[in-house]
Amino acid sequence: MAELRLVHIYKTYKGGVEAVKDLNLTVADGEFLALLGPSGCGKTSTLRMIVGLEEITGGEMYIGSRLVNKLAPNHRNVALAFETYALYPPLTVYENIAFNLRAKKVAPAEIDRRVRAVAAMLEITDILNRTPAELGGGHKQRISLARALVRNPDVFLMDEPLSHLDAAQRSHMRVELKRLHAETKSTTILVTHDQLEAVAMAERIAVMNFGVLQQVGTFEEVYNHPVNEFVAGFIGEPPMNFLPCRPQREGGQLFLISADNSFRLLVPDLLCSRLDRAGIQQVDLGIRPVHLDLLDQPGNGPGELQGVVSTYESLGEEGQLAVSIGAAALLVVTPPELSLRRGDTVHLRLRASQIHLFDAKTQAAL
Amino acid sequence: MQTEKAQGRLAAVLSDAFLILYFLFALFPLVWMVLVSLKSGPELFTTQFVFTPTIDNYIAILFGDARAAAGVVAKQEFPRNFMNSLITSSGAVLISLLVGVPAAYALARYKFRGKEDLAFTFLSFRFAPELVVIIPLSVVYRQLGLYDTHLGIMWVYQLVTLPLLIWVLRSYFEDISPDIEQAAMIDGYSWWHVFFKILMPLVRPGLAAAALLAFIFAWNNFMFPLVLGGSNVQTVTVASLGYISSAQGFFNRMAAASVLATLPQILLALSIQRYLIRGLSFGAVKG
Repeated sequence: MAELRLVHIYKTYKGGVEAVKDLNLTVADGEFLALLGPSGCGKTSTLRMIVGLEEITGGEMYIGSRLVNKLAPNHRNVALAFETYALYPPLTVYENIAFNLRAKKVAPAEIDRRVRAVAAMLEITDILNRTPAELGGGHKQRISLARALVRNPDVFLMDEPLSHLDAAQRSHMRVELKRLHAETKSTTILVTHDQLEAVAMAERIAVMNFGVLQQVGTFEEVYNHPVNEFVAGFIGEPPMNFLPCRPQREGGQLFLISADNSFRLLVPDLLCSRLDRAGIQQVDLGIRPVHLDLLDQPGNGPGELQGVVSTYESLGEEGQLAVSIGAAALLVVTPPELSLRRGDTVHLRLRASQIHLFDAKTQAAL
Repeated sequence: MQTEKAQGRLAAVLSDAFLILYFLFALFPLVWMVLVSLKSGPELFTTQFVFTPTIDNYIAILFGDARAAAGVVAKQEFPRNFMNSLITSSGAVLISLLVGVPAAYALARYKFRGKEDLAFTFLSFRFAPELVVIIPLSVVYRQLGLYDTHLGIMWVYQLVTLPLLIWVLRSYFEDISPDIEQAAMIDGYSWWHVFFKILMPLVRPGLAAAALLAFIFAWNNFMFPLVLGGSNVQTVTVASLGYISSAQGFFNRMAAASVLATLPQILLALSIQRYLIRGLSFGAVKG
């Protein structure tokens, strides 16, 4: 168990592809962190550098107080649960789990004790004598976790651990993994593209894109205070709506006006100062589909818009309404079973406290 | 239900019957060969199935006979020919294993320039008919002093055995996730340890099947030892020609020699039978 510290880490592949750029990240001892991002964002390269399967192009990596840049994977005392499990097919489950301990020449009695302890923790004691080929995905997943945990790693990494499980197993394993972390208190890094996994298990989330760490924080932090449009759009389901517009002052009041003049939004007072302070010509207004309210009556209050229904889907527990406002499109989460039809005019109110503003040029939050 | 069951049974019976028929058809030449090998001279050209079997032919090819000793027919050298076949064929397979397993692994795992071209080149060894390359090869062999040597025959057999091994094993290695090797590296094992403890057991069916086929192809090869070998390395395939001369055809001895020459292949195939079916239905590796 140890703290993991990445200082100005770079990864550049042959041919000049920069997979990871200037990554600074500290994972506290015993913390559960999720590395979240779309495919190709550099999260897997980061993971492979931590484990030692990929050379570090630049920067320093510390596990505890040890600089591990040049250490071979087996000397780093890290464990990785592979996405594909990567179990050793010719060996029994028991031998799979014991493999690392045998390499370390641990005494057989000690191996037996530790294998059985970890098997009990993962509830796979009854299959220790089988071979992986006979077992299903859920079991393989547990074996792969057991194999990683049996060595008491300083840092425990999981690469998309749930992606090959079915929905029921997945939600079960999410709870299990959280329990395991609570029991072992090991420094854990979960690499995933699925924000639900990250939110459900991790204490903090590190969002990456294009090889750059975008934001690190608790779910509340990245959800409520995204630092840029990427994080805002990536976290949250359905994703945030973005409306490009420009601020304009008319008769003492501040409006946001879309590029094609299809809407004018009276800016709530809350946001006026932020817009003024930034003094930016083009902004992207971000609002989550759950933060839009459908109005019965048209009003002219701040944060109100009028649009035309393009589609409405009633999904049982909620409804999803797509509204077009000129060239812009908005997704709204509504109650289910509304009688809305294509072409109907609807009135929406953006909840003032939930409006995000981004600089259209840099995409950074204002 | 009743009729369906009956139909199912009928289909099973029919398919069994068909298989038995095919079995008889396929094995008939072998049966005929065995029968001929047990016949004596006068019975040779009859189609009698009832005759007094004799093992004279076997004795003659293994130990020579009175007439051979007297110089009437060529002295039989079947045991030596058999050894030659055994040495060259197993030697060829051994070399192919030593070269082919690492080559197959590299072709499956590593990215390098010209990889597919290289793989294709190995395969292309099998394209050209042997007759096309045999004349230039024989010139080269005489120059290099490889003519009529065991090493020379093993070497030229690589044209037959190596592509087979490389291509079968490559697909096996490709089926094994590189994650397994990396997991083992994190576990603290050397690459060699992983290769022998984890990878080899996984490719064993393919290895067994490909090695057996390679052995059979080498064993049955006729053209290369005929042209590139002399009396030193004469194999059973080439030697079997010697039973027929312009004066007399010892077809019964030829048959006896063939029966004995088939034995190693049959024994080998039986001994690794359990790998064969899995091995030949490619890509049977599952985590």
